[in-house]
Amino acid sequence: MPLTLLKSDKAIPEREKHTYIKAASENILPLSNVQTTPGDFTERGCTYAGCLGVVCGPIKDVIHLVHGPIGCAYWTWGGGTRQNLSDNPGFHRKYCFSTDMQEDNIIFGGEDKLYESILEAHKEFPEAKGVFVYATCAIGLIGDDLKGVCKRAEEEIGIRVVSFNCEGFRGCSQSLGHHIANDTLFEKVVGTKEPEYLTDYDMNIIGDYNIQGDLWEIMPLFERMGIRILSTFTGNASVDDIAQAHRAKLNLMHCQRSTPYICKRMEEKYGIPVLKASLFGVEQTSKALRDVAAFFGLEDKAEEIIEEEVSKVAPKIEEYKTKFEGKRVFIYQGAPRAWHWVNMFRELGVETIAAATTFGHEDDYVKICERVNEGVLVLDNPNSLELEEILTDWKPDLFISGLKEKYLSYKLGVPFINGHSYEKGPYAVYSGFLNFARDVEKTLFAPVWGLIRRRKNAQRND
Amino acid sequence: MRQIAIYGKGGIGKSTTTQNLTAALSTMDKRILQIGCDPKADSTRMLVGGKRQPTVLDTLREVGTENVTLEEVVHTGFGGIKCVEAGGPEPGVGCAGRGVITAINLLEELGAYTDDLDFVFYDVLGDVVCGGFAMPMREGKAREIYIVASGEMMALYAANNICKAIVRFAKQSGIRLGGIICNSRKVDNELELVTAFSERIGSRLVYFVPRDNIVQRAEINKKTVIEYAPESNQAGEYLQLAKNVIENDNFVIPSPLEYEELEELMMESGVLA
Repeated sequence: MPLTLLKSDKAIPEREKHTYIKAASENILPLSNVQTTPGDFTERGCTYAGCLGVVCGPIKDVIHLVHGPIGCAYWTWGGGTRQNLSDNPGFHRKYCFSTDMQEDNIIFGGEDKLYESILEAHKEFPEAKGVFVYATCAIGLIGDDLKGVCKRAEEEIGIRVVSFNCEGFRGCSQSLGHHIANDTLFEKVVGTKEPEYLTDYDMNIIGDYNIQGDLWEIMPLFERMGIRILSTFTGNASVDDIAQAHRAKLNLMHCQRSTPYICKRMEEKYGIPVLKASLFGVEQTSKALRDVAAFFGLEDKAEEIIEEEVSKVAPKIEEYKTKFEGKRVFIYQGAPRAWHWVNMFRELGVETIAAATTFGHEDDYVKICERVNEGVLVLDNPNSLELEEILTDWKPDLFISGLKEKYLSYKLGVPFINGHSYEKGPYAVYSGFLNFARDVEKTLFAPVWGLIRRRKNAQRND
Repeated sequence: MRQIAIYGKGGIGKSTTTQNLTAALSTMDKRILQIGCDPKADSTRMLVGGKRQPTVLDTLREVGTENVTLEEVVHTGFGGIKCVEAGGPEPGVGCAGRGVITAINLLEELGAYTDDLDFVFYDVLGDVVCGGFAMPMREGKAREIYIVASGEMMALYAANNICKAIVRFAKQSGIRLGGIICNSRKVDNELELVTAFSERIGSRLVYFVPRDNIVQRAEINKKTVIEYAPESNQAGEYLQLAKNVIENDNFVIPSPLEYEELEELMMESGVLA
């Protein structure tokens, strides 16, 4: 089937280019990473959200200072909604910093207030290892000299002060914010500190944000192989870890939408090769371990670990698979998880009937289309009405998405899992896979679905 | 109440012309509110004897939006003219355009536009560089625009651009061009050129103010010509300008020229003609 137009999109024919039903004989991808069509009630975020909320927020020992009106602060707070756990939770997950720009600051310029705010925050939290300053829309318009202020403040307080020009109105989604965060961290932080010592087995894990502790499941697997994780980008990361990341032998890239930029730049400048991986489900995790082992010559050790771990989870996964066989899922994620999770669900006997991303680029859709079956709906940047249509007309047994979609799903009586910040994770690698399967079981067979109005009677409000 | 905004190229003499015009109107028993929309805050200087008065935005910054009162920001000057300066940031920082928007909104909330006024004048900085400086044109704040120009190419170029902004807002806010005021620079053929320009854009020359050093002398004495030398010829010129403004009934949506047309006009009627 070619590109198609959903019923709810009658008024926005442009959406057809973003809506594809997969056919093996074709070489079609939905249009992606372009401006939202006027009238389309998009769920996209902004460049600033991508920079602070996704990439920088998890860094655990710097003051994340939002330079802008107070309203910009809360929803990008790394610890607030996104479950970026760290071993320094009393700081970045507890405090949120903003310059709280008022009308008179906009008119007369916010540079003095920013400078004072940096000094004040540093005085309150002298243990912080740096201050990161994020520009919001208003700041971009009035043209505050962030670089100049940060340089002055850095000289005054003696710790690194880095500015991010991530004004919300730049770019068509949060994706550009990832890019700006990558570039700025690469230019200002990476390579500014040397590790105490080096080993031949030093590796960075790039693009994992330690959501509900994913990294604490991922890292031991590699460490048992004899690998040292030199730096994580940016889950549970100290700014000092990122500063010494340039000395790793290999970059293992997990989120391939928010971090390919820094991987590429580290490869170009420091010659660090990049290995792409999915660390969800048994097969993908085993493949990642084998790929890394092959790079470092640790194949035997890897096979041992894989055998041990698989034997622990395989029988339980088989049990779940029997229970879930024939169930159908709709996956809607930011971008890479939409394809990371197709294979993971398949291992559980659950087939994907629709896959969508908020800010995916063409390469994300290539990967989705490689993984899904014939007839699967592949949708770019869906709006709430489209989501409702898919949930009611395509009748998935399970919807996996984020907090924004949770109550839509509940209201329509569709079992739901929060794939952004998880139900009760971590979900990564073997151990996390069992948590994931358990949460799928819990929601699929929750008695509550029998108590609410059946979905087949539900009416869409066209 | 007639609401009038004065625009024109930077340095053309908007503030000087406006102050002499309002001073002249005040001698005809007109009640006037004059609002300077320029961060330099010098557009009512000669009406208040050179005193630096607290601007709306300085006051707002000091006491907070809720605590600003009219008494603090409105100062009565020559001829009972109520003088207000919007104020704004130092050059190179912040957003002067936002300042104009904030200041005018605040004046409105505070009830500065009382029914007993005959005229409200806005004296607006330079060109219409961004949305903020178009504020007096929008939402019917001003109904009439007068553009101060001279026979110099860049002054007419700016005047033409301002006409484009008038066209943009004419429909939604009902503003109209009242005409061109020529503040003479003693350029050759100046009267002919500015008259021709005014007619080509569908308007007319309201008045030709000749150049006279007494204007500068009055300025150094922190006074308008009307106050400093009421019997002088130049005072008479400003009184005539005031009369023309009072009697003006020609309000149009202008038809701005293309750049090439403007150049042609310079060739036909300007210094070379």
